[in-house]
Amino acid sequence: MIVQSRKGNRLGIILFLLPVLTLFTLYFIYPLGFVFVTSTLDWNGIGTPQFVGLQNFLDNFQTRTFQISVRNNFIWLFALGFVQIGLAALVAILLARKPRGWRFLRTVYFLPNVISQVAIAMMWAALYNAEYGAINQFLEMIGLENLTHNWLGEISTALPSILIQQVLYIGYFMIIILASTMSIPESFYEAAEIDGANVLQQEIFITLPMIKDILVTTMTLAMAYGLRHFEATFLLTNGGPANSTSVLGIQLYKELSALDYGHANAIGATLVILGILMIVTIRAIGSRGAAADRMQ
Amino acid sequence: MARQATAVGSNDGIGSVAGSIFKWTVLTFFLVFTFFPLVWLVISSFKTNIELQTAPFALPQVWQFGNYVNAVQVAELPRLFLNSVIVSTSSTALAMLITSMAAFVFSREKFRGQQSLLNLIIAGVLVPIIALMAPYFRLTNVLGLYDSLWALILTYTAINIPISTFLMYGFMKSIPAELEEAAVIDGASFYQRFSMVIFPLSRIGLVTAGTFVFLFSWNEFIYALLLTSSVRSRTLQLGIRFFTSQFFTDYTSMFAAIVLTIIPSVLVYVFMHEKIIKGLTSGALKG
Amino acid sequence: MKRTLSGLMMVTLMLLLALPVFASGQQEQGQGEIVLNFPTFWVGQDSKAEPLAQLVEEFNTQHAGDIRVVIEPNPDTDGYRDKLNTQLATGQAPDIFVFNPDPTTFQYYDSELLFDFTDYMDDTWAADFQQSYLNESTRDGRLKTIPYEIGITPIWYNMDLLNSVGWDAPPATMDEFWQMADDLKAADIVPTSQMTGGSNAWTSMLWYSHIMASLGGPDVWDRPLGDPIYVQAAEILGRMFADGNTTRDAVGGDAGVSGGHYMAGDTAAFINGPWYIGRIRSDAPDVHAATALAAAPQAGEYGGAQIGFLLSNLAAGNTDDPAKAEAIVTFMKFMTDPANVQQVSEAAGSLFAVKHELGSGADPLQREFVRAANDATFVVGHFQSQYPVSVVSEFGQALSALALGATDAEGFVQMLVDANN
Repeated sequence: MIVQSRKGNRLGIILFLLPVLTLFTLYFIYPLGFVFVTSTLDWNGIGTPQFVGLQNFLDNFQTRTFQISVRNNFIWLFALGFVQIGLAALVAILLARKPRGWRFLRTVYFLPNVISQVAIAMMWAALYNAEYGAINQFLEMIGLENLTHNWLGEISTALPSILIQQVLYIGYFMIIILASTMSIPESFYEAAEIDGANVLQQEIFITLPMIKDILVTTMTLAMAYGLRHFEATFLLTNGGPANSTSVLGIQLYKELSALDYGHANAIGATLVILGILMIVTIRAIGSRGAAADRMQ
Repeated sequence: MARQATAVGSNDGIGSVAGSIFKWTVLTFFLVFTFFPLVWLVISSFKTNIELQTAPFALPQVWQFGNYVNAVQVAELPRLFLNSVIVSTSSTALAMLITSMAAFVFSREKFRGQQSLLNLIIAGVLVPIIALMAPYFRLTNVLGLYDSLWALILTYTAINIPISTFLMYGFMKSIPAELEEAAVIDGASFYQRFSMVIFPLSRIGLVTAGTFVFLFSWNEFIYALLLTSSVRSRTLQLGIRFFTSQFFTDYTSMFAAIVLTIIPSVLVYVFMHEKIIKGLTSGALKG
Repeated sequence: MKRTLSGLMMVTLMLLLALPVFASGQQEQGQGEIVLNFPTFWVGQDSKAEPLAQLVEEFNTQHAGDIRVVIEPNPDTDGYRDKLNTQLATGQAPDIFVFNPDPTTFQYYDSELLFDFTDYMDDTWAADFQQSYLNESTRDGRLKTIPYEIGITPIWYNMDLLNSVGWDAPPATMDEFWQMADDLKAADIVPTSQMTGGSNAWTSMLWYSHIMASLGGPDVWDRPLGDPIYVQAAEILGRMFADGNTTRDAVGGDAGVSGGHYMAGDTAAFINGPWYIGRIRSDAPDVHAATALAAAPQAGEYGGAQIGFLLSNLAAGNTDDPAKAEAIVTFMKFMTDPANVQQVSEAAGSLFAVKHELGSGADPLQREFVRAANDATFVVGHFQSQYPVSVVSEFGQALSALALGATDAEGFVQMLVDANN
């Protein structure tokens, strides 16, 4: 339920929206205008731009690397949206029961977010390295030599290797979900306990419905990051081997480095459009879900 | 207090033993997974670069304290650190203030075009920021902010508007209407409803979104380089990059610098978070 | 329809980009003093950082009250390039800057953004340079950047490892090379350092350039991409990735991997330029002492070539102010003065397009570089200097596909051709 608008609030509404709208216009609307306009141009940032219509988009769609990138972006979207959020929710629910040392765990789980991505990527490159990496050394030690790989350098293992290490960094989303879970009033659980519900049943029938909104929120965010994914792949494989781990962000950056603003911003525009489609889809599913809830 | 530790396994037998094993397996796995990088980083910061390259998981043969000497010698490290603190806290505070105001209006008021405006702002989450270098550079020059702390504060605040509006909106929407209605009956105005009811009740959202903005501002590199040119407005991330050069990166000294710079942020995180979460749970109890 | 739309887009772009600049950069002027900002990545741990800072200080003292050059530190070469591209795209060139010459950046010659040195480069000044580098920096008769640092990248051999398997000299031909590789492998030594990662697969891109030079001779890069010798060279490079001829982490490895293995004494052959001397001398003194430089083994008709190229040119932003133009030229002449270049060269171990002496303090390996360059039958640029960034960044991807058997040598070249369009 939204509180009904009352008289005299109009000025307040405008005043409250003004700062955000001003900055948003300057830092999003204007730059996006730039992205969409340049996406229709043949322009190297130096010479006179030529209008080429949708040619940049058509060029991109026909490139094999672009197709691989779109596929990988969707893999990222699902991996972060479902697997990462699922794990984050699982850990949050476990921590919300305040097991021994939960404060310490909560802090430690968050630590990777504070450390620079460059350092973390270096460590993973070292873990995955074929010659002296810890993973291969471990496999050799336990006699599974035939399972060793050049993890980031083989087409079949490169993408899963990056995915796994990113999906398992649940810290940030876990904290959000945990905060929400811990604000559920204790009385709900006490009542359920009296009714004889075991812990698992309590989590399924009380916790999950109560944190549904925050799950959808974090899931949407995680999916948006899946579309925008760039840094870990850039640092670990730069899209290789043979472009097999490429994502749109990597391609965009490569086109920018090649001073091809047209194709680069066509990728940028594609990302924005894909993202809007994603949000619309999630909202549609969400409102259908809400309608179903009301029906019951 | 909120929820007590419902001792799993206290009363329902075998199932809970399995539950307990499962729980501690999961928690331990993530503990190792998240703690390991930090340990590795600290140990690596005492190695030579050759050791890092060829024996990344061994202890250093000789502990290279010289790496820390190198790290401290980065020109003007304290100044860069101070700038980072100013930029990160200012952009966090500014973003929290303005996005909570906007989220309040979006979640607790009704006006024409509300939903489309909200969707538009939230869609900003999807914009690939890396594509915006040219417009941001131009904009910063037009505003006369090039090479100033304000250039970074405004840019970081603005970049985080979509995500923090999104998060704040989500939290504010979940605040029960009854709490607000009680205040209205007591004669609270529009502004009082925000400042005395909704804003304080949104602490949980503020912490969540604020942490995000702070971390983003603390770690951002590309725009810090693009929009500044002198030490008076540069941040720590640029200092750390002084260990990379065209053909070689001195990773171990860089790691030493990173260790030095994450100590304060970890401390801030631990203390701030603890404090705010505490306030938050006691607030929830009253509500 | 299309024209209206086109016009509309044009006007919008103009509006978006041509907003007036109220406060761009620093305010110059302090009682007639001209301030020149000099953003550069030769800062921090770069080997040229210290000698450059000294030179600039010296210059500022000499011209106190008239000209002041201010170094703007831009650590991180990629970040520097992104920033420079952005500044130029918004029409603002820095006063003085470092220009990385390649076919992509040479597009800037078409703009009015760069200071034109053509009329200032008189015979006296030009006599200080090696003519070929001046020629390379001239496009359509205009010299808009000054050649400065150059790179020579011979093959590095760890002679201790070669000696240990009975080779007392580097291999002269490809057949000898493969023989040497087999001998090394028999002793559990990996023959070569290779890599496909990073933004350009640096070490392996240089191997490829050497093989191409031997197959195609001094005019090798006149051959269009797709010419059969590109395929032939790819077959040879592909073999270096097979049969244990390189480390297992070469595919996906970056410069840290290829250089790390050589410095650790894991691999017997490696390629890099003189800027790596200081690093290897401090990190791996034994390998430094054991290193000999040579031309690549002869793969085709031409032997004894070296790969040499412009690494960094100096450039300046265009200006209408004659005083500022004068200041820019004064500074450039100072930077390229042979005595000053010698100072940087000896301190940093780098090589330069300016002819200069090498004092007795120079590293023996640096002398080896000079000797290698002088002994070369001919010198050609590397692959990266010949193709736009889009092709160069695809090189590592195509090479990893080749090394993994996902494509053959023809497919490798086809990937490069596709990226060139």
